[in-house]
Amino acid sequence: MGSRLDLFLLTIAILLGTVLSDLILSKVDRRVDLRSQIVRVTSTLKVENDGTNSVLEVLLAFPDNHVKHLAYLAVTPKEGKGKSKDSANSFPMELVHPKDMPPALTFYSVSLPKPLAKGDSLTFDVLAVFTHALRPFPEQITQADIQLLVFQESAHFLSPYAVKVQSLSIKLPDARIESYTKLENTKIHGSEIKYGPYESLPPFSYSPIVVHYESKQPFAVAQELVREIEISHWGNVQVTEHYNLNHGGAQIKGEFSRLDYQARPHVRSASAFRNLVARLPPRARSVYYRDEIGNISTSHLWGDSKKTELEIEPRYPMFGGWRTSFTIGYSLPLHDFLFQSEEKRFLNITFGCPINDVVIDTLIVKVVLPEGSSDISVSTPFPVKQLQETKISHLDVAGRPVVVLEKSNVVPEHNQYFQVYYKFNSLALLREPLMLISGFFFLFVACIVYMHADLSISKSSASYLAKLQWDEVQASVQQVQSIISRCLSIHDKLEASLRDLSRTGDVQSCKAARKAADASLKELIKELKPLLTFLQSSQQASQILPKVEDLVAKEKDMQDRLLAKHSTVVDCYEKKYGGKEIENRVAQQQQKINALRQEVDDLLDFVDEI
Amino acid sequence: MAPKPIASPVPEAWYPTLSFVMLAIGLIITASFFIYEATSSRRNRSLAKELLTGAVASVFLGFGSLFLLLSSGVYV
Repeated sequence: MGSRLDLFLLTIAILLGTVLSDLILSKVDRRVDLRSQIVRVTSTLKVENDGTNSVLEVLLAFPDNHVKHLAYLAVTPKEGKGKSKDSANSFPMELVHPKDMPPALTFYSVSLPKPLAKGDSLTFDVLAVFTHALRPFPEQITQADIQLLVFQESAHFLSPYAVKVQSLSIKLPDARIESYTKLENTKIHGSEIKYGPYESLPPFSYSPIVVHYESKQPFAVAQELVREIEISHWGNVQVTEHYNLNHGGAQIKGEFSRLDYQARPHVRSASAFRNLVARLPPRARSVYYRDEIGNISTSHLWGDSKKTELEIEPRYPMFGGWRTSFTIGYSLPLHDFLFQSEEKRFLNITFGCPINDVVIDTLIVKVVLPEGSSDISVSTPFPVKQLQETKISHLDVAGRPVVVLEKSNVVPEHNQYFQVYYKFNSLALLREPLMLISGFFFLFVACIVYMHADLSISKSSASYLAKLQWDEVQASVQQVQSIISRCLSIHDKLEASLRDLSRTGDVQSCKAARKAADASLKELIKELKPLLTFLQSSQQASQILPKVEDLVAKEKDMQDRLLAKHSTVVDCYEKKYGGKEIENRVAQQQQKINALRQEVDDLLDFVDEI
Repeated sequence: MAPKPIASPVPEAWYPTLSFVMLAIGLIITASFFIYEATSSRRNRSLAKELLTGAVASVFLGFGSLFLLLSSGVYV
């Protein structure tokens, strides 16, 4: 297939030789990293303007069969080491279909930050990340075999421009190399193969190379990953990730021997991967790892102030073609991810999956915003498919708005921050407690209604009437009780006034207290009368009546004695008798009052029990 | 204006204590409500008092159970 394409391209190269000859690439340095299942091609291009007009755009060409594996493409200016990986200052680019170009190529047009004048040159880095570009060969291996991979590339940089000097280096994992295409100027240094330098090649030069090598790298491919990020303004961001994972490397054939696997895992089962490491944000808590059956206990968690690391082992070692599905979830503190910017709030969180070196075929990120959010907008550093839905969760009425972001072919390079902006009124935070409160309140109201409602069916039966009467009796007895206790409190007041008198000798205020007490006692006696007549007339009350009457009589007696005592004491004070003499005079009264008080209290307790 | 981080209106460390205290108060008031319902006779019962006790109890129980949910990890 490669050679067919080559032939085809060569033909068009001859035909179109000088279409875009304004630019030339004076130096191209390509580095291919094959140390994981993801192919990362970093090309450093030095573009020179050889024409007369200034140039704003540079075209990058990729063969169509590579483009379908292209997951990530970024062009960043070359500004020394370290800085070049910053995605913030990358050049904008777009897919274009220029005329008169070979149809089997896809072109991306990179806009330069400033026009390239005649004779000027500019150096920039192009990072292209491909997934599923490595083909296992043989496609099926036994448990003991080592996985072999085939990588196809062109030794010459495929470009619509002429290239002066170019070189290609391929970094392989530290293992045996089965074979590789030998061209002129091919060198091998340990695990690195170098092609070039090649000089003065025309546009669309293509020279296929094939590298066949051993790889023990995990081929973790998530066919589908659903990340659900749920915001609670009560202080939590809950992330739940549902993985549907398989081993995308060479398929295993024959049977699986657990004994071999356990005995010499690195020799006999090199192609399997047994664990995955997820780098979670710092301060992650309540981490869980489970699948449909339940918790999977083979996981380890450790963390420091910069990150939390979760090492998970699937229920069984993953061999080629085997699949597993599981869920991990964790809580993150709200203040690390949610911010207020003027009117709006926004969530700032990473897009991709936290597990190292996983290729995701379909990534669905769902951001569940709190109920009552409005004006939702999303800002992502790369194009994604957007949808909106609602989710009913705990204590919801209308459901929470959910922003669904979908992207296919996701690699760790996509692990960039994205923002979801929304408006939210802080008072809407009280929605959930208000729901709980109203729930409890309805319970109480139901109790009140039940206690007040008359639920008897037959309104004329004897027992019902008796019950009604008994209710009335009970009510009047309770009223009597309350009147008696009010009387008793008036008694206490009178006693207090006597104590005041003995302390201050103020006869007038004592008399005033007595007057007030007299008035209220009279009132209470008046209130008591109809109740007593009702109780006397009621049949139901016949049992309790003697006690009540006794109570009233005792109280009356006590009241009389107290009043008499009060008058005596006041009298004595007016006549200026000594304290001892007063005490002698009222001692007998006091004794009787105390005895009566005791009896009244006992009777009150007795009546209360009825 | 630089973005300002948003935190919970109530510090998260308080949730267990708050839930315990509020549920305790709420349950005490609920108990007094039911004692009142059971002991006072139908005629002398005051509707206003019943509603007031019920309302206060439900406010405490509502917030108490909210904080109980939050402290047990069910972030509503």
